[in-house]
Amino acid sequence: MWELIIVQPLTNLLLWIYDVLGTGPHMFGLAIILFTVLIKLLTWPLNASQVKGAQAMQELQNDKDWQAIQKKYAKDREKLAQEQMRIYREKGINPFASCLPTLIQFPIIIGLYQAIIRALSATPLDMLNLARTVYPSQNVENIIPLNSTFLWMDLGRPESIQILGFGLPTLAIIVAATTWLQTKLTMPATSNPNDQTAQMTRMMSIYMPLMLGWFSLTFASGISVYFIISNILGIVQYAATGRANWRNLLPGANKQTSPAKK
Amino acid sequence: MKTKKLTLFFLLIIGALILSACTGQPLISNFPGLTADAERAYLSTGSFVYAVDVTNGDELWRYPEDPDSELLYYANPVLTEDGQLLIGSVGTNHAFVSLDPATGNEKWSEPFSSAQGMWIASPLVFNETIYAPNSDGYLYILDMNGEQIADPILLGGALWSAPVTDGTYIYINSLDHYLHILNPSNGRLADPIDLGGAAPSSVTIGNEGVYVGSFASDVKFITPNGRSEVIASASDWIWGTPTFDSETLYYADLSGNVFSLDLTNNRQNWDSLQPDGPVTASLLVVGNQIYVTTEAGSFIALDRDGKIVWEKTPGGKIYTTPVLANDLILVAPYQAEFALAAYDADGKQAWTFTPDN
Repeated sequence: MWELIIVQPLTNLLLWIYDVLGTGPHMFGLAIILFTVLIKLLTWPLNASQVKGAQAMQELQNDKDWQAIQKKYAKDREKLAQEQMRIYREKGINPFASCLPTLIQFPIIIGLYQAIIRALSATPLDMLNLARTVYPSQNVENIIPLNSTFLWMDLGRPESIQILGFGLPTLAIIVAATTWLQTKLTMPATSNPNDQTAQMTRMMSIYMPLMLGWFSLTFASGISVYFIISNILGIVQYAATGRANWRNLLPGANKQTSPAKK
Repeated sequence: MKTKKLTLFFLLIIGALILSACTGQPLISNFPGLTADAERAYLSTGSFVYAVDVTNGDELWRYPEDPDSELLYYANPVLTEDGQLLIGSVGTNHAFVSLDPATGNEKWSEPFSSAQGMWIASPLVFNETIYAPNSDGYLYILDMNGEQIADPILLGGALWSAPVTDGTYIYINSLDHYLHILNPSNGRLADPIDLGGAAPSSVTIGNEGVYVGSFASDVKFITPNGRSEVIASASDWIWGTPTFDSETLYYADLSGNVFSLDLTNNRQNWDSLQPDGPVTASLLVVGNQIYVTTEAGSFIALDRDGKIVWEKTPGGKIYTTPVLANDLILVAPYQAEFALAAYDADGKQAWTFTPDN
């Protein structure tokens, strides 16, 4: 099932883009970039709803009713949950709206990783799997094997640049940096020191770059290209909607108290 | 809040583990390599090369004694006339080793730190020189002691198939869609010959030329001077090396069609023989029987008219070309209960070999 609805379509889409671009060096990297743009465009409405949902949750933290029930039912978690749900309903807020795009990213990341490995076919067994994956309408005889070179990288392997005999994982560093940047820019400013959403986001800004950086260190560099482009496009999307919080990049920004731009 | 931080931290760790588990298939995996002489079968699969007694299926030795995560072996080991067994690693360590076929002791090892790719292909030994194709697209040239005696030759594309010689020239198929012809006496390459598709297996030497199957789904006859002619077609990619037998060429495709081409008139000897699934291995001709192995795990003996004489299902998937050892046919299934099985010409299983952990 996973194979049929995720890996096969993603692999064929990648191969189709690669075929359209031409089969020279660097084209598979470009195909991954275009693929990422396509995925971002398709998930644009979801990302927009994530921003909106996060914003609504943020505003809720400063809502007087919300703060009142937090105090009133501090010792009754069940009642607190019921009241929270009531306020969500009244204000038309979906508390999961901000999580959905992130959840959707996971199967795409896993599927893309498998699609990249399969498309690049490092061994005969991989190539046989690829032969079974391509749709009959795809004429892949001319494009196989794919050229895995992109800039200085082999997209089928983890990346590093040798400097004085030490392999510097530049892509993993860029992935971690862009992930941190994106999380920081999307972190809403808050006037409430006990704002749990902001605190969670702050934690995310630490853990997410580390986690994605580790993935980049471990997996094929093609997936790192996806992460970087995805992060950059995410930043562009936030900036385009006027919600990027550039002040968060300044030292001590977490202590500032100005409200988020609406 | 401390609890929430911890919860979030552990959720991310679990997420990372799930993602790793979903994507974390072994980076390198392939089907086994197999070769044999009159006494021993040599099976390369994963971390080890095994020598197996062909009379009873007992393990004689394994190399290395302990697994090394950087060393993996899947190529067909190659026996040389001066008593070496050659194989390169498919792992992240690209070492190329020579073993004593009798004991498994290492005779020499060339680390090949310069090679960027894996040793999926077997080497060719010709005129006391080792021609070793690597998936980095280079053909490495060594003497019989493992010393590189010439600059590697860049052919382009990944090289997955063993070079073959007709006694004068060396023919190397590449995934770059070309057949490369090297004159080993002067190191010169002829103009590469376009195959129309990637060629994952070797050429077959015929009379006055070679036969090549490729992902272009056809068989080409190519002469040493570079004349190329399509002599037959298939309905899907041709993976295995065509088998030349006198005036007949046997080959199969990934749709599972098995062909017998009469080379005197380029006509098929039988129509529509399609056992049970993709065929990647070459067909083995012994006496009057043609042995076919399929991905579905079938091991089939055909007569020369294409009629099934007998059919066995050793289990697993069979991608590796069967080999003849004395009077036994050895089959190395992938992901089966055993790693190697021996059958006689009547299809009776003589023994199986399963490595001890």
